[in-house]
Amino acid sequence: MSITLDQVTKRYQGVPVVNDVSLDIGDGEFFVLLGPSGSGKSTLLRAIAGLAGVDHGRISLHGRDVTHVAARERGVGLVFQNYALFRHMTVADNIEFALRVRRMRAADRRRRRQELLRLVALEGMDERLPAQLSGGQQQRVAVARALAHKPEVLLLDEPFGALDAKIREELRRTIRQVQRELGITTVLVTHDQEEAFALADRIGVMNLGRLLELGRPHELYTRPATRFVATFLGAANLILARQSKNGIRFGQTPVEASASLPSPFHADREHEVVAVVRPEEIEIAPTRERLTSNYLTRGAVDELLFTGALERIRIRIDESADGAALSSDGSGSALLEATRTQHEQRAFRIRPGEQVVIGVRRVHILPTPLSSFTACASTEGLAQALLREPLLSELALRMKTRISARVEPRLGMPGAGAEGRSNFAGTTVIASHADAVFHVQWLLERGAEEILILPQHASAPQRVLIHWADQSLRRATLAVSASILRHLSAEAVYVDILPEQTPMAQRPHGMRALLDARSEAQALHGLEIRTELRFGEASSELARHLAESAGQMLILGIQETAGLAARFGSLLSSAAWPMLIVHRQHESALAEVTS
Amino acid sequence: MSTFRQPSVLPGFSLTFGFTTLFLSTIVLIPLAALVLMTASMHWSEFVRIVLSPRALGSYRLSFGASMLAAFINLVFGFIIAWTLVRYEFPGRKLIDALIDMPFALPTAVSGIALTTVFAENGWIGSYLHPLGIKVAYTWIGVTVALTLIGLPFAVRSVQPALLEVQRDLEDAAETLGAGWLYVFRRIILPTVLPALLTGFTLAFARAVGEYGSVIFIAGNLPMKTEITPLLIVIHLEEFDYKGAAALGFVMLVISFVVLLTINLLQAWGRRRIVAVSR
Repeated sequence: MSITLDQVTKRYQGVPVVNDVSLDIGDGEFFVLLGPSGSGKSTLLRAIAGLAGVDHGRISLHGRDVTHVAARERGVGLVFQNYALFRHMTVADNIEFALRVRRMRAADRRRRRQELLRLVALEGMDERLPAQLSGGQQQRVAVARALAHKPEVLLLDEPFGALDAKIREELRRTIRQVQRELGITTVLVTHDQEEAFALADRIGVMNLGRLLELGRPHELYTRPATRFVATFLGAANLILARQSKNGIRFGQTPVEASASLPSPFHADREHEVVAVVRPEEIEIAPTRERLTSNYLTRGAVDELLFTGALERIRIRIDESADGAALSSDGSGSALLEATRTQHEQRAFRIRPGEQVVIGVRRVHILPTPLSSFTACASTEGLAQALLREPLLSELALRMKTRISARVEPRLGMPGAGAEGRSNFAGTTVIASHADAVFHVQWLLERGAEEILILPQHASAPQRVLIHWADQSLRRATLAVSASILRHLSAEAVYVDILPEQTPMAQRPHGMRALLDARSEAQALHGLEIRTELRFGEASSELARHLAESAGQMLILGIQETAGLAARFGSLLSSAAWPMLIVHRQHESALAEVTS
Repeated sequence: MSTFRQPSVLPGFSLTFGFTTLFLSTIVLIPLAALVLMTASMHWSEFVRIVLSPRALGSYRLSFGASMLAAFINLVFGFIIAWTLVRYEFPGRKLIDALIDMPFALPTAVSGIALTTVFAENGWIGSYLHPLGIKVAYTWIGVTVALTLIGLPFAVRSVQPALLEVQRDLEDAAETLGAGWLYVFRRIILPTVLPALLTGFTLAFARAVGEYGSVIFIAGNLPMKTEITPLLIVIHLEEFDYKGAAALGFVMLVISFVVLLTINLLQAWGRRRIVAVSR
């Protein structure tokens, strides 16, 4: 491995800007770090270069641990967005800078310089000053300068940012060529997905300091695992759907479209899931009979935009139509984005306002267990107040999902017959309450699987504690934790609690559980978590931990509903911190119910 | 005239150029010409007698020597202060930034008296220096201290904007290329701020040469030892020897002009090398 990052964390004033990033980059690989501004990608690059220290974790280059090695001894070449050429030096002096520092002989320096200038196609420019060159040429000089001392790693920080489209493409080609010719391991930072696709062998997508997903460009585009990657890499429609072993349905419409089914769910139940439909996978036709793909819904053309090769269309979905697809784009408006090629445009011309029928060619289901939020309360007023909670609206916005309100007048009342394991899909949100544990129990009896208990005016947590009551809940709880943590810049801590009187001989089991949790989070979700082992009674130990500092949140995996009040009653009824309950029944218990 | 005519946002080249000439003439050129004329009306031998008298020579040495030294001290410490203000964020930074300009605002006599009080043998600082055998007040050291004080803002204010322009990226780039701290400073930072440093030096020097008010309090004004040229001119004036005063003034004018011109040429040469032809 050329570059190995192990749990690298960098904080600014306590806030992690790079959050537990682990990554291996192979020899000669062209790796692109992609993310919006403020995602921590540039900080990570500077950490690799040695210009920014790290607070935690290790960085190795070619097997050598360089975590505490100064930038000038790391043997990296760095190219900046603003070129950072030495303006009082000629092109020749700029390129030879690293060689002069190393006291190389003049003749050797000249030879190397000629070689580099040929590489970046700037022969004969030796005696020019940077101010006499165009932006593209200056960046070529910067690339040559960064390569002069034959670094083992080339780092590029938004190198095309200051250039116009035409030059950008030209320089992109040069850099790709140079990289192939030298076979040098390269990391490029950008916010431009097109650039990432054009250059990368592999892309790592970052958001809020976390490395969300890693993969080849095509893989990431067609099979993203997270909402963020789905929408950041190109346009995507996120649609709420129902998935069961029989397939997927949008509203009442079953879809047999080829959908990959990486299901983290129980196969025997119908779940609410988030479907990704790329704009180019949407088909538009005048009538249902004319569709060649799966019927999705109908709608009216809202906006048409001609962009050259493609036509971009926004379609307002008719929610009352049978099989209405539920849009989940957070704004609450049901708009679908579609693109059509010239060829498709000729086959069926449309105008704004026209009624059309929509089909989908390909659907990808996100393996995220968190779909939408339902704020549930006993009166309309309380439900509306819950909807306005800042943390909830912030989460829904970041997850690009929707929140709806639901009034359950009998919420928490005992004995009001659990009529069917009905219809609590997605995450149910309730307000903190002295009787919260009974509300939770009531909801669990009616099929809710994730319940978020929100105190008033809770703000986004800085640390999320994760705990499960039984090891069989590890998978589900971790999946939910990973899903929510992608949208929070908080650190994650798995807390395992053993009874106080655990004999020494059994304590290694506790350590095993911690390691298992860590490696599963890392392997399945790319989520780095810290682990802690405590001794005592679970509920009070968690409460104590949560009370230690402000800004903490708890994710709790539970299995049985029966002893809930006795076991976690006091914890769940506390109004001091947000809690997310993840409930999964034992496989056998579930089979009993469904049979 | 059309040869150096350039399009500009200000309308009317002839108007603005005329105004410039008039303004410069009234404020600078005519008074200076009067000085030269007055000197020219003297007899050559008389001019030489006054200008090369041992007392005059001693005053030149002190005036220009102390000014040079003070400007040099300001160059070094002004750079360090500017660096601190530009590069670091610390509580009270704004306050210190404002304090730099104080010597501008203070009447020079006030700073002179203040310095004398502090540096006198029984003053706050002077009482500690005295046992070490260092006498500040009433010696050439005191003169230098006063000239340093009044020149400091010039040095800091000239370097500050130039330092702001030295991008961090340049230093980062040099560091990844293998350069150590000293190398970066010598090869990257210094060349970039050198013109500004020279400007600061020039301004501080020019100001120091002409300084009168603050120096006379701390200097002690012993002929041949701690007497600056401007004071000598005033002494001539008090004796109604206008011609003698004019002659000394003329010599100061010539020396100052030569020094400033040299520095300016040096700077122009440096700038040509650095900026060169912009696109």
